[in-house]
Amino acid sequence: MTSKQSPPLRLTIWRQYGREMSVGVFLLLLLGYFGSTPGFLRAENLRDILINAAPLVIAACGMTMVIVAGMIDISAGSALAVCAVVAGITAKAGAPLPLMLLLPMLTGAAIGAVNGWLVAWLRVPAIIVTLGMMSVLRGGIIWWTRGEWIGNLPPSFSAIGRGEVVGVPTPVVIALGVVLFVALLLARTPFGRHIYAVGGNPVAAARMGISVRRVLWLVFMLHGMLLGLSAVVYASRFSVIQSNAGIGFELLAISAVVVGGVNIFGGQGTVWGSALGALLLQVIGTGLIFRRVSEYWAPSVQGALVLLAVVTDALRTRRAGQ
Amino acid sequence: MRTAAICVIIVVAMLSLFTACSRKQAGPSAAKNVEKKLVVAVMPKLKGIDYFNAVERGAKEAAQELGNVELTYDGPIEGKVDLQIPFIESWTLQKVDVIAVACNDPDAIAPALKRAREKGVRVITYDADANAEKSGREFFVNQATFEDIGRALVDEMAAQAGEDAKVAIVSSSPTAPNQNAWIAVMKRYMAERYPKMQIVTIQYPEEDQGRAFSMTQDILKTYPDVKGIFGISSVAFPGAADAVRQAGKSGKIAVVGLSTPKSMREFVKDGTVKTVILWNPVDLGYLTVYVAKAVLDGTLQRGATEFEAGRLGKVKVQGDQVLLGAPMKFTAENIDQYDF
Repeated sequence: MTSKQSPPLRLTIWRQYGREMSVGVFLLLLLGYFGSTPGFLRAENLRDILINAAPLVIAACGMTMVIVAGMIDISAGSALAVCAVVAGITAKAGAPLPLMLLLPMLTGAAIGAVNGWLVAWLRVPAIIVTLGMMSVLRGGIIWWTRGEWIGNLPPSFSAIGRGEVVGVPTPVVIALGVVLFVALLLARTPFGRHIYAVGGNPVAAARMGISVRRVLWLVFMLHGMLLGLSAVVYASRFSVIQSNAGIGFELLAISAVVVGGVNIFGGQGTVWGSALGALLLQVIGTGLIFRRVSEYWAPSVQGALVLLAVVTDALRTRRAGQ
Repeated sequence: MRTAAICVIIVVAMLSLFTACSRKQAGPSAAKNVEKKLVVAVMPKLKGIDYFNAVERGAKEAAQELGNVELTYDGPIEGKVDLQIPFIESWTLQKVDVIAVACNDPDAIAPALKRAREKGVRVITYDADANAEKSGREFFVNQATFEDIGRALVDEMAAQAGEDAKVAIVSSSPTAPNQNAWIAVMKRYMAERYPKMQIVTIQYPEEDQGRAFSMTQDILKTYPDVKGIFGISSVAFPGAADAVRQAGKSGKIAVVGLSTPKSMREFVKDGTVKTVILWNPVDLGYLTVYVAKAVLDGTLQRGATEFEAGRLGKVKVQGDQVLLGAPMKFTAENIDQYDF
């Protein structure tokens, strides 16, 4: 406010975080709309919404980096299943807590490393690489587990998904931590700025001396690691782990990111928007049940929202260009 | 251009890796015609899941009992009809005696079965039927009619939650044919038998445990007077039971449904679920091989009303369907005896 520069602070904030703020406003409007149904705004329900959204928020953070870098990952749902099974097996083997977190994250990072390597060094389009990876992992997990679910999980594992840290559910704490971490990474580090540069214009980025390959590879690995963490939070919530979990999860994560204002062609967007986008999708899912809307409509409504978000984004960028 | 070529190479490599994996599993049972033994080829919807592993066990048991039957058990690792067809084609070429298929799609598989019939291979179906007319299959071994399952579910709910209970259904996908057929029977039977029972909502979590879980949470909060939840798929049932348990409502809200006993064991043990309803897939595999043999022998023909199947005794035959019998109930007392 004290600054003498020409655009006042209010306008700068709006210009920088316009999309995030409009998603936030939209979220509040929805909460108001669904809030008129009995029980929706009760603390217990809001708490459940936050817990259930946590794995999606975490995955959306990783997906944000991937999309900002101009890439895409549609193997995320299959990777989630693989990491969840790894988490379950590790937990059942009696591993200590750090290992239960670490092994799935390493698994995710390994999957990301393969995806990233194929994309960065062999220059195969990300959509093709991850499409192949999606089937490889999905088939592999069925072959490996023989379709069996993993039950009898130890309490130390379930404590991750159902525990609390000073009154706040652990999944929510983890999700918040991840959002903060990725936000700082993207906004405050040279690596973060390189991601935007690579996503915005890879040729220019390379001329600036950025190693595009290395950035892409690291982005996929980090994203894989976060997927592993997301899988732990997801799986530890349940008494049995479905070996075939997360079908369609990748689309939810991509939707969350796009609804949150990240440019699908890369170079623009923040992790705050994606986190809000993930919350928005969860609120809609729960809200439609409370509103007693036919479940047949839920997927259409979610799809319509994504379209709405993309269209407004396109209009905004067009206006900005003029 | 170069990129495109590399893409193609990678996709091909991945696919071949895939088929390599599935080939490896084909194992030693690939049909070899040992003198005069009848070769029965049984195909699951997909290999490698508990349910069809149990079917395979029953089929092997019957083949051993019958003595002169050589069993080939193989199929795709994903439940897709286009992956089933190559198996049928190669079995037709190998001139097996009978093919028994659990079909992933009733119509898409029909032409392949028809060609097998024309080459002199006898064809039956089990678990999931093919289009009878277009495929020319002779019998369908039906594990349980929709009617039987629907009624058993509703009766069980009435016994546990009361005849005037408000109930919710957690299903599979809105287009899943089995689930929709069961729901139709359940609605009709409820209206006839328990007119005061009321379905407050039906939710469709697809095949996603997480959604089945959160949808059940939302049902419990939106309809506080709900007394029972039906979980009518192998994903919905554990998901719903988990939500009821974690809400601290085990024993207060009845959870009734269909799934394999193995996946429900812990919920049955802690009292969240009293009864799991399903047929016995081991018996289904067993009966299928018996029917295959009888079709070949001519001991089972259209018009029969009964059929003698080894340890199962006499089972009913209705038209072109052989019925396994009433659905089975798994409870805390007997659930440990079954490992599928």
